[in-house]
Amino acid sequence: MSYLLATPLCLLTLLLPPLSLAAPISPAEPISQAYSLALYMQKNTSTLLQIYLQYQGSPFSDPGFSAPELQLLSLPPAAISFKTWHALDDRERLGRAQGAFLALTQHLQLVGDDQSDLNPGSPILLAQLGAARLRAQGLLGNMAAIMTALGLPIPPEEDTLGLVPFGASAFERKCRGYVVTREYGHWTDRVVRDLALLKAKYPA
Amino acid sequence: MMDIYLCLRRSFRMVGDIRMKTISNFRWLLATFVLLYLMNQVNSQKKGAHDLKCITNNLQLWDCSWKASSGTGHGTIYEVCIENRSHSCYRSEKTNIKIPALSPGNHEIIINSLHDFGSFKSKFILNEKDISLIPDTPEVLSLSADFSTSTLYLKWNDKGSVFPRHSNVIWEIKILRKESMELVKLKTHNTTLNGKDTVHHWSWASDLPLECATHYVGIRCYIDSLHFSGRKEWSDWSPVKNISWTPDSQTEVFPQDKVILVGSDITFCCVSKEKVVSAQIGQTDCPLIHLDGENVAIRIHNISVSASSGTNVVFSTQDSILGTVIFVGYPPDIPQKLNCETRDLKEIICSWNPGRPTALMGPRGTSYTLFESFSGKYVRSKRVEVPTNESYQLFFQMLPSQEIYNFTLNARNLLGQSESTILVNITEKVYLHTPTSFKVKDINATAVILSWRLSGSFAKINLLCQIEISKTNSVQELRNVTIKGVENSGYLTAVGKLNPYTMYTFRIRCSTETFWKWSKWSNEKQHLTTEAIPSKGPDTWREWSSDGKNLIIYWKPLPMNEANGKILSYNVSCSSDEETQSLSEIPDPQHKAEIEVDRNDYIISVVAKNSVGSSPPSKIASMEIPNDDLKTEHAVGKGKGILLRWYHNPNVSCDYVIKWCNSSQSKPCLMDWKKVPSNSTEALIESDQFRPGVRYHFFLYGCRNQGYQLLRYIIGYIEELAPLVAPNFTVEDTSADSILVKWEDIPVEELRGFLRGYLFYFEKGERDTSKMRGLESGRSDVKVKNITDTSQKTLRIADLQGKTSYHLVLRAYTDGGMGPEKSMFVVTKENSVGLIIAILIPVAVAVIVGVVTSILCYRKREWIKETFYPDIPNPENCKALQFQKSVCEGSSALKTLEMNPCTPNNVEVLETRSTVPKIEDTEIISPVAERPEDSSDAEPENHVVVSYCPPIIEEEIPNPVADEAVGTSQVIYIDIQSMYQPQAKPEEEQENDPVGGAGYKPQLHLPISSTVEDIAAGGDVDETAGYRPQANVNTWNLVSPDSPRSTDSNSEVVSFGSPCSINSRQFLIPPKDEDSPKSNGGGWSFTNFFQNKPND
Repeated sequence: MSYLLATPLCLLTLLLPPLSLAAPISPAEPISQAYSLALYMQKNTSTLLQIYLQYQGSPFSDPGFSAPELQLLSLPPAAISFKTWHALDDRERLGRAQGAFLALTQHLQLVGDDQSDLNPGSPILLAQLGAARLRAQGLLGNMAAIMTALGLPIPPEEDTLGLVPFGASAFERKCRGYVVTREYGHWTDRVVRDLALLKAKYPA
Repeated sequence: MMDIYLCLRRSFRMVGDIRMKTISNFRWLLATFVLLYLMNQVNSQKKGAHDLKCITNNLQLWDCSWKASSGTGHGTIYEVCIENRSHSCYRSEKTNIKIPALSPGNHEIIINSLHDFGSFKSKFILNEKDISLIPDTPEVLSLSADFSTSTLYLKWNDKGSVFPRHSNVIWEIKILRKESMELVKLKTHNTTLNGKDTVHHWSWASDLPLECATHYVGIRCYIDSLHFSGRKEWSDWSPVKNISWTPDSQTEVFPQDKVILVGSDITFCCVSKEKVVSAQIGQTDCPLIHLDGENVAIRIHNISVSASSGTNVVFSTQDSILGTVIFVGYPPDIPQKLNCETRDLKEIICSWNPGRPTALMGPRGTSYTLFESFSGKYVRSKRVEVPTNESYQLFFQMLPSQEIYNFTLNARNLLGQSESTILVNITEKVYLHTPTSFKVKDINATAVILSWRLSGSFAKINLLCQIEISKTNSVQELRNVTIKGVENSGYLTAVGKLNPYTMYTFRIRCSTETFWKWSKWSNEKQHLTTEAIPSKGPDTWREWSSDGKNLIIYWKPLPMNEANGKILSYNVSCSSDEETQSLSEIPDPQHKAEIEVDRNDYIISVVAKNSVGSSPPSKIASMEIPNDDLKTEHAVGKGKGILLRWYHNPNVSCDYVIKWCNSSQSKPCLMDWKKVPSNSTEALIESDQFRPGVRYHFFLYGCRNQGYQLLRYIIGYIEELAPLVAPNFTVEDTSADSILVKWEDIPVEELRGFLRGYLFYFEKGERDTSKMRGLESGRSDVKVKNITDTSQKTLRIADLQGKTSYHLVLRAYTDGGMGPEKSMFVVTKENSVGLIIAILIPVAVAVIVGVVTSILCYRKREWIKETFYPDIPNPENCKALQFQKSVCEGSSALKTLEMNPCTPNNVEVLETRSTVPKIEDTEIISPVAERPEDSSDAEPENHVVVSYCPPIIEEEIPNPVADEAVGTSQVIYIDIQSMYQPQAKPEEEQENDPVGGAGYKPQLHLPISSTVEDIAAGGDVDETAGYRPQANVNTWNLVSPDSPRSTDSNSEVVSFGSPCSINSRQFLIPPKDEDSPKSNGGGWSFTNFFQNKPND
């Protein structure tokens, strides 16, 4: 639990967007920062998914639960063929990750709201969801810094959720939360690979 | 019947016509008549109307129908006439007609069938009872469904306007499900007709969600009209109407997010295009119920309570899962422990315990409404259910001028509601806030003002506050004060009766006058009250210096409660009639002053000063009044102090003073004193400095007008202890029979109590003997003298033995115990008279012995001569030879005796038993078995004379009878050598061999311990002293003397032969024979005499 307390402090520093757009800075430092954060996030994604499923009841909480067929249209899937992924240029690579984490932050907020209805007496779950959202936001800031450093345009923020999710049934909300927490893990894994690639490309 | 009657009449008319034509042939006619009649009969049936049947569906019109005869075809017109009061006829071309309802009773109906070829009249009697009431088939106006609640709503018109009012109608509604139209429910519904067309509504909740299967509904009715006496029948079923669901969203499992009661039964269904493989609720798989298409359902009985996020119901198809969540919980429990109170008379806080958890949370949780019935106002809780079972509360704003509130707390969730009520007079339920801003301010040295704030509108009530006053080393004091309440303001109260210059700790809590609860204690405030002038002068005493010129004034520091502040200095003044000396501003730690005076009658006055002022002076007279009659007294304390008592002295006018020194040594004297009033006769002197075993001196002074007089001098101990040392003592004088001991006093410091006496022990003893220890242990040889006269310092011990070492011990004792002992060894002087006697007596004895010996020797000179210096016998004069010559003449065997020059001893061998075989010469019978009586009784023939060494030790046989009976056959030898053995180690022998007396001992140690032995031969073995064979004794003793073997053994014993040489004369003389030298004039020698002497 101690890392939960320490995290917000780290994130505050990471969240600060680089304001000095005029002076081109080396991309290595923001890449390294983003990479560290992504690695840190990667350690906690499975915990988030486990805790999430544990609070949703059977069959979600059953050991080994997996429903890959469940997808959210509003959330871009992380799965991509290796060849395509490898051929992505920096702008596309960062743009896709940026778009995914933007969607993830919004979805994590939605899942947090859903769970405060379904599991109001479970502060651990709500805290985990909140922390994941903050980290995703932190990563977004870092990626924006990288894009700035690389001189790439930052894509505008979109409302990826739209009007879709309201009025969903409890079962849909549980499934939605499952997909979001699962995809959060997948996207974190992918962005770790993305940043490792960029790190190699732009050494300090 | 009517029909037949009509026909008969018609036939008779025809028969009349024929008779007119043909009369003659009657018989033929008769036959024809019968035939015609029958034919007519048939024809009349066919040609007229028959089977009249009437029904009604509105009780106003009767719909009557009949069957036409076969011959009638098109063009037949029926005229129906009702033959009652008003003759009315109706014409119809059909075989039915609607007529207005007829009044009850029989009515004649004539149906006239008009053909081209004629007409037939049919006559019927019609009654209302013959009419059937069959209502019109009802029609479903509308069928709708609420899918969220799975409820069907049905609407139809009863068309009651055509029926008389107040008729009861029974409606039967059938519900069919699935395309196969399985009947799932048949329900009846009762209504009453009201004379108007009325639309009825009916609803039905389906167990199966309506989305999953098409539902069909049909209806029919039955009118139970009271005024209609005919038959009533059900109407036909209406055409069915159906309800089916068209998918409009992604959700395909029903019901969604439903909240139900624990233990309910529920059906879930899944609308699917794909085949559903399995279904499960929670972790339980459920059997599928197949509906139309691929739709399935599952039925759950007695559903159990859900977790926070609900219970999941999941239907799995080949490549997807569909599901829903059901929330199973309880309706809210009755709120428990509902309690309403206020803290500030502005807002009422009602708190309660929710009771059993509902298991429903978030938006499904319980909402609470607190309703106040007098004002009609209410407050509602936010719908947040805390999962823990802790107390809930709601705040209700108080209304001005309302004191009594009747609260109803309503708890409600989706499954039900409950409530509990409470009626409170809110002014009696005030739980005040903790007082804040608590402050203390001085008024004077003994009073302070406390101030605090209390938020709340208490203008109408009084507050009761409790002040806790505590000071160090004292019990807490609680004071209650009643204060008029004010509006949101501070409060003040004065606290008096405090001590000046004292550190107090205050805190406060409040309640209302109508007590409900104390508030929490406020913060503590420490406060030091201000100083006041010392209330008393210091306790004073004075002493004259040793030279009598100076007066030393002592005073004690004032206790805190009298000093009333920090004492800064003292003023001392000595005043007489003539002069006044004063010493001022003596700083505080000094409590002594010395003033040089030239008189002795001063009045000394001491004043203590603190920052506020001076104490009243304490005065004391300086004069000492002499007392000639002074005695020393003793006192011993109890516990921590010493109680001193004295007799009342009427001369003492002011007070008594007891003065003492706290130190054990005389110098320096840590002087202390105690004043007691003049009317008391005792004083308990206590001091922490008193130590046990230390002598203290107490001086009791009595105060008179002019001065103090020493009344008593008391020596005391707080507790007496045993002396620390023994008195030093010396021997002053020693004689042959007495010792004079002198000792010194023990120093007071080491005495440690009042000396009660000395204990003197003495005994014979050397310095190094071990008898020194345990002198006082009451041994008889220790003599004790208790000297209780403590002034005695010497002691003469008489009746002692001369030239003897004595061990002397002296110790002192107090009531506290015995002191250590001091010992000394003294040897008494030699007694000269005794010495002379000691020399003279042996000399005299020696002379007497010599004289007696001489006399004896002289008298027995013949015997002596014969014994010691016998005449050498002349062989020729030998009597033996003479005897032999005379008696044993011719026996050559006896000649060997001639060679023996000695006179042998004669040993008598006694034979007491006749069974004993002949005794040979070599046999030796022990003399221990002999007794004079026995020997006298023994027959002379059994005496055998043997050469024998007589036993040296006399043995007494305590039980000769037993000996005779058991052990006579044993021959006991006394060895010559055995005579030496007892001499060598006599004691050892006695110890080791209790059996044996003197006599022969075997070389082998033979333990005689066998029990058999003891039984068989206990007597003789134990008692008998004498020879023991070296062989196993047991075998010997086991043998009975009566047995033949004993004889053998006896003979064996006999065959051992004598160990004694018959030639050794000197040992063969028994000492017994000393008295009778004549009886055996055997060998006797000095060596024998001297050897035996030590044993005497």
